[in-house]
Amino acid sequence: MLAPPVVFLCVFLVMPLARVMWASIGPPEAPFSVYARVVAQGFYLRSFLYTVETAFVVTLVCLATAYPLAYAVANARGWTGRLMSTAILLPLWTSVVIRSYAWLILFQRHGPVNDGLLWLHWIAEPVQILQTSVAVRIGMVHILLPFMVLPLIASMSKVDRTLLRAASVLGATPMRVFLRVYLRLTLPGVLAGCSLVFISALGFYITPALLGGARNATAAMMIEQAVSVFLDWPLASALSTILLLTTVALYLAFARLTGGELGTLVR
Amino acid sequence: MTAGSVPADALSGRLGRAAVGAYSSVVLAFLLLPIAVVAPMSLSSQPFLEFPPPGWTLRWYYDLGEQPRWLIATVNSLCIAAPTMLLSVALGTLAALAVGRIGRRWARPLTLLMLAPMMLPHVIIAIGLYPTLVDLHLQDSYAAVVIGHTVIGVPLVFLTVSASFAAVPPSLELAARTLGADVWQAFRRVTFPMIRVGMASGALLAFATSFDELMLALFLTGPGTETLPRLIWDQLSFALTPTLAAVATLILALSVVLLGTATAIGAAGGRRTLRAR
Repeated sequence: MLAPPVVFLCVFLVMPLARVMWASIGPPEAPFSVYARVVAQGFYLRSFLYTVETAFVVTLVCLATAYPLAYAVANARGWTGRLMSTAILLPLWTSVVIRSYAWLILFQRHGPVNDGLLWLHWIAEPVQILQTSVAVRIGMVHILLPFMVLPLIASMSKVDRTLLRAASVLGATPMRVFLRVYLRLTLPGVLAGCSLVFISALGFYITPALLGGARNATAAMMIEQAVSVFLDWPLASALSTILLLTTVALYLAFARLTGGELGTLVR
Repeated sequence: MTAGSVPADALSGRLGRAAVGAYSSVVLAFLLLPIAVVAPMSLSSQPFLEFPPPGWTLRWYYDLGEQPRWLIATVNSLCIAAPTMLLSVALGTLAALAVGRIGRRWARPLTLLMLAPMMLPHVIIAIGLYPTLVDLHLQDSYAAVVIGHTVIGVPLVFLTVSASFAAVPPSLELAARTLGADVWQAFRRVTFPMIRVGMASGALLAFATSFDELMLALFLTGPGTETLPRLIWDQLSFALTPTLAAVATLILALSVVLLGTATAIGAAGGRRTLRAR
């Protein structure tokens, strides 16, 4: 029973990935020469750093934005709760291409965001939002936010509220109850959400390509470009291998942190 | 003392609740804002993107009907999403059933394998798959994209089926087998009714994912198998026209239908389990 799925994934996932890693080693007379090229050219390293930095900022912003929202959803009852869950699930079911396209409209030089800022007198003339890392970050936060909210809701709805009351009755200030009891109890959700968002953010292509442009190239954009523009498969393989190993290392680290229950990351 | 009168933590006092409520509305508006912008743009009388639109027209939808390319891309996307869904459900369900009944020692690495495609950047999967599919002489065929999309569809079905299968005690199948049912009958009459909600939501997820997927499509589709996201992507680099907004609105409508179906079967499933108990 296990044979068909395992064979399928071995043939169409494991072997292709092994092949990418093998191709990245390069010709036998000069092994690892591609990696030397990657390291020698600051462009690629800067781009990797930019990718990691973006993933980090996006994860933090998502966490800060999602935590109170998840709290409200986990404690809402009846139709309010259902309405809020639908509002969170709807973006999750809509295409990433279309959502990024919507941001492209919003961030136009004479688009709604600029108009709004002008109307509020926060800016004197339209500002350039597209082709900046700010646009990329806002777009990515928008797309990844549900992945942070859902695990948080899951762990928040499991919190036993009598524990909070007990701490409160025993004299803890509300802030202390929050920090020492509530936050600790919801830590698994925080870790699950952060790992999901961070790891997904590392591989982002559509949103940064559309909103950030070539000047703000992420790792995935470089890999795509190496193939479709330069037709340089060894380079693409080397860059892929670096991104792949980074992702796997992070995945395993987070899995260890959350106690190895990988399946619960998503539910 | 009633439960509500003790502000148990910093967020649950009356002031805290009001603040959380107001804040949540803002964040939810942020989540829905881009979706809310696309539909009005598709009805704009202006060919340039101007918001709010100066006037209203259905012209862009008629335009869409006159360009066969969009229809062909939609048919391609459906011809890819449907087999992807079936294949993902078959493989994902088999894997979930097997892993669910296997010892702890093997369950870990197998779960890791089944979920791996979900965690890996699609660009890496695409780079790896391309030469493999060329070796199999599958380039520019539906099969190539279907295989690629099934790789990322299997984990979705695996997760949803695993979740519903975890609630099925092994003793039930055992009972069926001792009573003389063969493996297939035990599955068909005992296990399947209990996991079908998981299978259905996995199927919807796999379908929606395939229908939206861009990266694998960029690498694995040819001129004859161009999918809808790929066509949108190509058009985006040309010009931002309301025609695109019209396409986007239609796809959004489909997403709403899919989400509604998922919610409906989820609710139906919940009700059924309640009645069974």
